[in-house]
Amino acid sequence: MELKDSVLKLDSSSVEAKIKRFVKDYVEKCGTKGVVLTVSGGVDSCTTAALAALSLGGKKVLGLMLPEEETFNATDINHARLVAKKFSFTLKTIDISQTLKACLSSIPIYDKNDKISKGNLKARIRMVYLYYYANRLGRIVCGSSDKSETMMGYFTKWGDAAADIAPLMDLYKTQVRQLATHIGLPPEIAKKPSTPALWPGQLAEKELGVKYETLDLILYGLEHFMTTEEICGQLDVPTQLVNDIKTRWLIMEHKRRPPLTTKLGYRTIGADFRLPYTTY
Amino acid sequence: MLSEVNIALSQISPKIGDKKRNLNHMKKQIKQAKENGANLIVFPELALTGYTLRDTVYESAEPIPGPSTNLLTEVAKKENIHMIFGMVEKSQKANAVLYNTAVLLSPKGLVGKYQKMHLPTHSVFEEKRYFRLGYELPVFETNVGKLGIIICYDVFFPETVRLLRLKGAQLIICISASPAVRSKFFEALIVARAIENTVFLAYVNLVGIEDGLQFWGGSRLIAPNGSVISQAKYDDEDLVIGKINYGDLKRIETFVPTLRDLRPELFGFLKKQAENL
Repeated sequence: MELKDSVLKLDSSSVEAKIKRFVKDYVEKCGTKGVVLTVSGGVDSCTTAALAALSLGGKKVLGLMLPEEETFNATDINHARLVAKKFSFTLKTIDISQTLKACLSSIPIYDKNDKISKGNLKARIRMVYLYYYANRLGRIVCGSSDKSETMMGYFTKWGDAAADIAPLMDLYKTQVRQLATHIGLPPEIAKKPSTPALWPGQLAEKELGVKYETLDLILYGLEHFMTTEEICGQLDVPTQLVNDIKTRWLIMEHKRRPPLTTKLGYRTIGADFRLPYTTY
Repeated sequence: MLSEVNIALSQISPKIGDKKRNLNHMKKQIKQAKENGANLIVFPELALTGYTLRDTVYESAEPIPGPSTNLLTEVAKKENIHMIFGMVEKSQKANAVLYNTAVLLSPKGLVGKYQKMHLPTHSVFEEKRYFRLGYELPVFETNVGKLGIIICYDVFFPETVRLLRLKGAQLIICISASPAVRSKFFEALIVARAIENTVFLAYVNLVGIEDGLQFWGGSRLIAPNGSVISQAKYDDEDLVIGKINYGDLKRIETFVPTLRDLRPELFGFLKKQAENL
C-alpha cells in the first residue's frame, strides 16, 4: 500500500449522502425532535452543523456558540454565524464566562497555573449546556469529533467528545476539510487551522507536533496495520515521530471506551455485554 | 417445472429484533410481488430479525419449522408463491446452538433450508461468536427451478457455487447483509460466480442502517453471461421483478463451456493445499 495523499481522497458526494442518511435515520429512529450541537466556528463543528441541517432541515438543528472571555474570537463567531445563515439553522450564543468563574471559584484545589485542568473544564461546561438543551428540547447531542483527533485522544474526556452521535468520527481531519469544501463552506473555514480553544493561542498542529497532512497519513498507515518501519519507509518523517504518534494512539484508548471495570459477573458492560443499538 | 420464472427481489430494511413488524412487512411485499406476477420472492439475510442482533440473537432464534416459518408457510400457500428468506435458526437439540439460515418455502410448505457455511468474523462481523457453521450445500428441485442457496460471505468462496452448479443448480440465490464499504466486492463477485458457472444468480441485500452500518441494497438478478436482468435501488427499500428462462442456459453453456472444460484433478490439489495453508 502506498501512503500518499490520494489514499485520503474522498468520494465526497457519496460520503455526504451516507452521513446525511445516518443522521436522519438515527434521529428518526430515536423519535427525537432534532439535534443540538456546538458551533465553534472551526471546520469540524461547522461541517457537522451544515450536514445536520442538510440532512434534517435547519429547523431541527440548534447550534450553540459557547464562547468565554479568555478565548473569545470574533472571527470564529462570524464564521459560525455565516454557516448558520447559509444552511438555515438556528444559532444561539451563550457566554459561559460567568459559569466558568463560578465553577472554578467553588473548587478548593483550583490552581490558576494549571491551564489543562481549566481548559478541560471549559469543554465539560459546554457539554453541560449541550445536554441541558437536548433534555429540555427533546433532542440528541450531535458531536463533531473527527478521526484524527479521536485516534490521538486530542479531546477532553466527557467534554467535547461527549455526544449521542458523531457523524464525522470516521473521517480524518484532511478529509473533513475536503467534505467541508464539497458542501460549500468557504475556504476561510474549510482550511482554518484547528484549535480546541481551551486557552489563548492554542493550535492543534502545534500541540500535536505535526501537520495534519502528515499526521493523517501516519494514522492511515496505523489503521491499515502498517508497521512504524513501513510508514517511515514511505513518508519522509523521523522514526521517533511515528513511534510517538503510535504510542499516543494506543495509550489514549481509555478516552475512547466506556469506563473500565473488572470482570465479576456473567456479562460485563464494556467487555462481553454486546447489545445492538435499539431505538424503540 | 416452469421454464420461465419471475423472481421478485425484496430488498427490505428490517427493524432489529422486531419479528412481528418484520413479518407484517414481508407479507405486504409478498402480496405485492404476487400481484406483479412473481413465482418466487427472495428476502435478504436475517430479514426476519435484522442483522446486527449481537447478544439479542438468542431471543430472536426459532427452530425450523417454528412460529415464523409456519406463519410464512401459510402466506406462501395463500399467495401460491415460493419464497426464500434469512432467519436465526435455533437447533432442535440444543438451546444455544444457532445457525444463520436461509429457508425455502413453496406453496406446498417447507421445502428445506441452508445453513451458512462461511461465517465472517473479522472487521465489523462477529458471526462465529454466535453461529455454528453449516455443513451442507443442498440443491432443491422445485417448480421454480433447481435452486442452490448461499449466504453473503459464501460468495467469496467460488467452490460453494461451483459445487451447487455441479449438483445441478440452475439458479443460485445469494441472500446478503453487506455494508456499503464492501459493495464493490459483491458487485464483482456475483457477476463472476454467474459467468464462471453459467448459472442464473439472484442477489438480495439488506438495506437500511443498523449500528452505524449502512447496508447498500443494490440487489440484482444476473444472467449466466453476467448481464443484469433487473436491479433494485441503492440504499433504499425496493421490490423489483425479473424474468429468467432456463432455456437460455444451453446457449450460454455452449458459448462459455466452463462445465465441459472442468479439470477435476485440480480439486484434489486444491484440497491438499488448503489443508496446509
